Formats: sequence, C-alpha cells, structure tokens
Amino acid sequence: MIAARVKAPATRSADPIQASPLALQPELLQAFLRLYGTLWSHGELDQASKELARIRNARTIDCPICKAIRFKGAREEGLTEDIVDQIRDGYQASDLSARQKTVLRYVDAFLASPGEIGEDLRRELLAHFTPSQVVELTAAVALFMGFSKIAVALGGLPDAIPVHEQPTPAWPVTP
Amino acid sequence: MSWLPLPATATARDPFDRVFALRPNLFEAWRDFSALFWTRRLLDPVVLELCRLRVAQLLGARHPQSVRTPEAQAAGLSESRIAALTSWWTSDAFGETERACLRFAEQFVLDAKGITDADAAAVVGALGDAGTVAFVEALAIFDGFSRFCCSLDVGASR
Repeated sequence: MIAARVKAPATRSADPIQASPLALQPELLQAFLRLYGTLWSHGELDQASKELARIRNARTIDCPICKAIRFKGAREEGLTEDIVDQIRDGYQASDLSARQKTVLRYVDAFLASPGEIGEDLRRELLAHFTPSQVVELTAAVALFMGFSKIAVALGGLPDAIPVHEQPTPAWPVTP
Repeated sequence: MSWLPLPATATARDPFDRVFALRPNLFEAWRDFSALFWTRRLLDPVVLELCRLRVAQLLGARHPQSVRTPEAQAAGLSESRIAALTSWWTSDAFGETERACLRFAEQFVLDAKGITDADAAAVVGALGDAGTVAFVEALAIFDGFSRFCCSLDVGASR
C-alpha cells in the first residue's frame, strides 16, 4: 500500500468521492463529475465498450479502486464477470468478440505507445466504430488512465478492494 | 492531419478542436474542466505550463507542444526557458518548485506507481494538499490528452 500523500478533508459524508482528497478542490470536482457523467450517460458509444476499456486500463495501471468497480449500465448491457475475467493478458486467444478485442488492443496501444497506432488497428477501429465513437473511446481512455494515475499517485488506498457494483456516472448527479 | 475521416462540417481552425468536436457535449464539458486550472489560477501558471509542455515532449505529442497558454505567457514564461525544458535536469533555468513538479510529472507519465514518497513530499511541501490535488488532476489531463493527440494523430496548431 502506498501511504496517503495528502490529507482528505474532514467530513462525515458517506460518499467516497466527497470523503476523498478530490473534495479539497470542490469546483474541479463538480466540473469533473459533469465531464464523467456526460461521458457515461450522454455518449454515442455503448457503455459495455467503455467499461471494457476502463477495466483494461485499471488492471494495467493497477489502481485498486478502479479495478474493483463495475458500473451498472455496462452490466445491464451484458458485460458479465465471465467477460470481465477475459480482460487479461492473452485476451487475443479468448472468446471475446473481434469488436471487444479491438477495444482492448486500442487501450494497450494508448497506454504503451500512443504514437504508434498502426494502419491495422486504425482500420479495425473504423470497421467497428464511427469516427465520433472513436473520439469518445479515446477521450474515455484518456480520462480512465488519468484518474487511475491520480488515485495511485495520491496513495492511501488498500492493496485490494472487493468487486462491487456502482451506479453508472450520470449528469446531472441525482441524489 | 488525423487519420479519422472527418465530416465536411468539421471546420474548426485548430486540429484538436476539429477532432474533439465530433463529440460536442463531451468536448464542451472537457473544455470547461480543463480551463479551471488556468482561469481559477489553482496553481502557478508557469509551473503548470512547464509541466504541460514537458508531458507533451515525453509523449511526442505535436499539438500540445505547439500551443502556448496565455496565462503562462502573461506570467512571464519565456521561449528560452521552454527551450531549456528538454534538459531541465541539468539546466539552471528552473527553481526548486519547478524541478519538484517536473520530476513528479515525468514519473506520473512513465509509471505513477513509481512516484516515491520523497517526490510526493517535495510537491506537497511546495503546493500544499489542495494544490497537490489540483496538480495531479492537471497532470491527468495533460497526460491523457497528449496521448489522445498521439493516438488520433492530431497535428500541430498553426
């Protein structure tokens, strides 16, 4: 476990985000919740594809909280734990669909060498997704990666957290 | 020029805007979030700009390297200091806070798990707790959207 680098604000809130160090910057937090809610709930790309990308990123960056979360909307679209179990190294030989494998390949390339997205992968992306969906997927992975790294960099997380379902981020936030 | 086929309606002058505007509501929410670091002056704009450019250099992202943030220019960041960024480790053009933030930013890009307690303590000591939270959120955007530009081959701004 990495020790906490900053002190979370004093609060009695049961909301894990409001009790986290992110609440030290309330205006940023509100703007981020709007951005994240827009991504998840007002998107053109299906939630299951974004969740695949999110979980692949979480496992690569090794963020305990991101790895443990499952968003309800993606589960309702059929992203079962059987599928999630296959989001691991060696997924190319798994039962995942060609579309799902394309998402995972793109996440891997984005994280490892984003300047070297080759012709094959570009073609695959455009075979499965519209250009606006590719933009949304790319922005999604950028946010997933960035915020997994924030959690890791700020520290204070346990090494492992049980898998649990959470409501899909929405905007406006409903109480 | 991005490899994405863009519709004829994508006419924004800036290549990043042209691509991201394919998802207009997401772009608008992203822009509003990203602007806060500068407009609310959550951090010293010079430190922030140096880290933004260094992150883009590490990733080879042409677009973010080609733009300059007005708030940092207004605060006096010169092109000669920007030119020294590629060798900031050995350059005497950077102060203690800038060096602490650049060290942290580089490690954030390469492997966030590799940020040491000493690296983090140097940033927290310089920026405080709330400033450090703003700083890592800014890094998340710089890192993520430099990669966005690389992945989609978003070229330099004119």
